[in-house]
Amino acid sequence: MPDAVAALNPSDRLRKTLRDPLLLSILIILWALLALFIVYPLASLLIRTFTDEGKFSLAGVWGILADPMQRQALWNSLLLGTLVGLCGTVLGFLFAYTAVRTNLSKGWAFFLDAAVILPLISPPFTTAIAMIFSFGPRGLITYDLLGLTSVSVYGLPSTLFSETITFFPIAYLTLKAILAGIDPTVEDMAFSLGSSRWRVFRTVTLPLAVPGIANAFLLLFAASLADFATPLILAGNSFPVLPTQAYLQITGMFDLKGGAVLSFVLLVPAFAVFLLQRFWVSRKYYVMITGKAGAKTEIKSVRPWMRHLLLAVCLLISVSILYFYVLLFYASIVKAFGADFTITWKHYHVVFTEGLQAIRDTLIIAGIGMPLGGIYSVVVGYVVCKKDFVSRRTMEIVSMINYSLPGTIVGIAYLLVFNDPPLMLAGTATIIIACYVFRYGPTGIRTTVAILQQIDPSIEEASSSLGANSGTTFRRITLPLILPAFFAGLGVVFIRSMTAISATIFLISINWTLITVRILEKMTELELGVAAAFSILVVLIVFIVIGAISLFLRLFRQPGAPDMANILGG
Amino acid sequence: MEAVRIRLEQIHKTFLHRIKGEVTAVKNVSLEVEPGEFLTLLGPSGCGKTTTLRMIAGFERPDRGRIFIGEEDVTDLMANRRNIGFVFQNYALFPHLSVFENVAYGLKVQGKNSADIDREVAKVLELVGLTAYERQFPHQLSGGEQQRVALARAVVIEPRVLLFDEPLSNLDAKLRVYMRGEIRRLQKALAITAVYVTHDQEEAMAISDHIAVMNEGRIVQIGTAEELYLRPEDAFVAQFIGRINALPAKVLTVADGTVTLSLFGRDFRLTAPPDGLAAGRMIQVFIRPEAVTLTRETGGDLLRGIVVERTFLGEKADYLLEMDGGRLSATAYDPLRHGTFAVGETVGVGIESGIIHILKGEEE
Ligand SMILES: Nc1ncnc2c1ncn2[C@@H]1O[C@H](COP(=O)(O)OP(=O)(O)OP(=O)(O)O)[C@@H](O)[C@H]1O
Ligand SMILES: [Mg+2]
Repeated sequence: MPDAVAALNPSDRLRKTLRDPLLLSILIILWALLALFIVYPLASLLIRTFTDEGKFSLAGVWGILADPMQRQALWNSLLLGTLVGLCGTVLGFLFAYTAVRTNLSKGWAFFLDAAVILPLISPPFTTAIAMIFSFGPRGLITYDLLGLTSVSVYGLPSTLFSETITFFPIAYLTLKAILAGIDPTVEDMAFSLGSSRWRVFRTVTLPLAVPGIANAFLLLFAASLADFATPLILAGNSFPVLPTQAYLQITGMFDLKGGAVLSFVLLVPAFAVFLLQRFWVSRKYYVMITGKAGAKTEIKSVRPWMRHLLLAVCLLISVSILYFYVLLFYASIVKAFGADFTITWKHYHVVFTEGLQAIRDTLIIAGIGMPLGGIYSVVVGYVVCKKDFVSRRTMEIVSMINYSLPGTIVGIAYLLVFNDPPLMLAGTATIIIACYVFRYGPTGIRTTVAILQQIDPSIEEASSSLGANSGTTFRRITLPLILPAFFAGLGVVFIRSMTAISATIFLISINWTLITVRILEKMTELELGVAAAFSILVVLIVFIVIGAISLFLRLFRQPGAPDMANILGG
Repeated sequence: MEAVRIRLEQIHKTFLHRIKGEVTAVKNVSLEVEPGEFLTLLGPSGCGKTTTLRMIAGFERPDRGRIFIGEEDVTDLMANRRNIGFVFQNYALFPHLSVFENVAYGLKVQGKNSADIDREVAKVLELVGLTAYERQFPHQLSGGEQQRVALARAVVIEPRVLLFDEPLSNLDAKLRVYMRGEIRRLQKALAITAVYVTHDQEEAMAISDHIAVMNEGRIVQIGTAEELYLRPEDAFVAQFIGRINALPAKVLTVADGTVTLSLFGRDFRLTAPPDGLAAGRMIQVFIRPEAVTLTRETGGDLLRGIVVERTFLGEKADYLLEMDGGRLSATAYDPLRHGTFAVGETVGVGIESGIIHILKGEEE
């Protein structure tokens, strides 16, 4: 993250911070929150992992690594992450290249975008459920179409397929930005020098996109590593992965310590990805995207037949995504998918009677978390980007931690520290809300920073020279300008509150439960129709909210304000 | 309101640059701006003008030294307590506020009631000629209009001093000339002390009571435009204010109050030379191109030169001359009356000893 503020000497910085009481109190509050909800839980997790009866010990970690089952889970997680990273990046590149380099008409571009966004805003299990409906023992494709009876939908291939479909949109959005940043005239230039189209692609386009590709791979690897929902449904017993193992350790065997150690094992590769992104990819990245998007030239880098091929592939994939959702809807309105296709509303009836508490709880949690998340992201983004104070960098990094960590780790860490007095927050809505705010606020923080970097610092100085103190300046000038980031921040917190499960599954209670958890329950009870109906409901709510936020974003259009789609990209 | 004095005492500012390490932007600058005076900080890019101005405004804090506005020591005062008007190079208008709201902002912060605000904003907008623009937003205005909004916004709060950081650099040449007249008129009408930053010497000469020429973080010379032009104290000022030839000359004799030099094979006697000249040394002397006279006759006392380059500029023509022992730039005015010389022509070159400057700074 480049800085909008100049470096002061440390003593100057300290003096400046102390002279501004408002800033000072905000910093104290923020650090208290970050310490409580990010540093302390994570530290506890580490301590729990490395101590045994109060003494430092590696026994816990060795115990896990010695267990062949858990070793297998680690290996499986890494394998799955790598494969999803590879497949998703290829798919994302294909889509991005098609979107950027084939002169799509508006309608087509919209269609592709819409199909690609769907997985990003869906509750977990959605593709997993659809996979079972399609390829399960009574699946539409395996059984009804092909008449196969002995295939198993569970295992690596289906998990890989499902995760790829779920996560490749992240790669698409990342790579689209990168490819759009490459000036097509550079390609034209190489072309005019006599290279073949393929050669231009190989020697110009691809090398320029390498940082983006690396980043997309890392993002997907991390997403797959952290994914809990898909493997829980699809991986089956033969393909254990770390997040599900940690979950089962805790919920099945009530072994909190074992869960903590397992999630620590998961933390190592996640942290490696975090470091790689921060210190390697992001550095290469900058050089790239500063290039201005090229002038509209008649793009020659794609031959007509190639264009058609690309379009056909993208279309095929988009249609299969849409097919999944249609299937989901269909399953939610028939009696028993695969056996009895009579139309019925009974699943929705269940949703709105038995499931009402979950819906109400989820909406309350999302509704409270939404403004808090918006405020949190704007305030952190603002001070980190605009104020020069001791511990600025540290705050920036710490605020990103929960976002970068797999949800399972965060959930278990929260469970560890908020389960006992004096911080007996387990079972309350507070802890679920806090989890979402600190885990998904960072998207809004980044948006805030992106907008702030485009606002000239002299605008705030102008306000100050006119007599406004920093509070007034923030309220009257900066806040209106970063309103889009506020909406982005609250939007993401809302969407994730509706759809996330990996962290909060550890935090629910009889008093407070979540739709996503109900979906999981219904799936394990094999009430797939109800699970499908719940999923459809979530997709609808999220769609409406995204629509409203996009509208707001358009109304308050500011320089540098991103699209909703880009915010979701990760 | 009474105009106030601005005083800088030995201010010093060092930045910690991520790549370059410590950069000293301003070195022990002392400066006094009289009440109601219009002072310009002039100097090349990176010489510390903006930093000095920003310290007066309170956007930066000097590492050492004190700053006074009026009798008050404002060194430790934040910008919002200093009661200054600042006009930024990029105007820094609030993009989400209309022209009216932009100008009213400072008054609102002061907590004035809306009737007063309406009246005062209307008055200032009339002063800058933007009465009809109240409801427009900054992006709907031209550069010159934005500039005037910035000006109105700065003066409406009746600041004790007005500070300008290259306010005209984003405008086209014609508008620049017009707006600098407007700024000067406004400053005089309000009788307010002003500090203005620019790197354009013509602008500085046109607008200021006094000019402080800066170089590498220091003030090199302060004076009126005329003083700086006629009596530059060092080579840097001479070269920065107007154009000047730097020529090698040999010191022949130094006697009480006079010095004899050899230049272009001719001896010149100068009075009141600076100290430290020694016979036999080579030094650099300075001659303004427009002080040289060119004639068609080549006889008598005149030196001779051959025209190697000619640039015709309308009201004047610039020449580069090949002399005996070096090249010399010369400017001849009013070619309509005197005609021009052709490349290759031999001309008579008149140099009087009075136009030769010996300056500290660039001795060889
Ligand atoms: N915030 C800062 N951090 C680090 N270095 C700075 C900062 N501000 C200024 N400097 C350095 O201080 C020196 C003086 O800068 P200043 O902006 O005062 O120059 P200037 O005379 O206004 O130049 P210009 O005409 O280009 O605006 C420069 O070398 C600059 O790089
Ligand atoms: Mg400057």
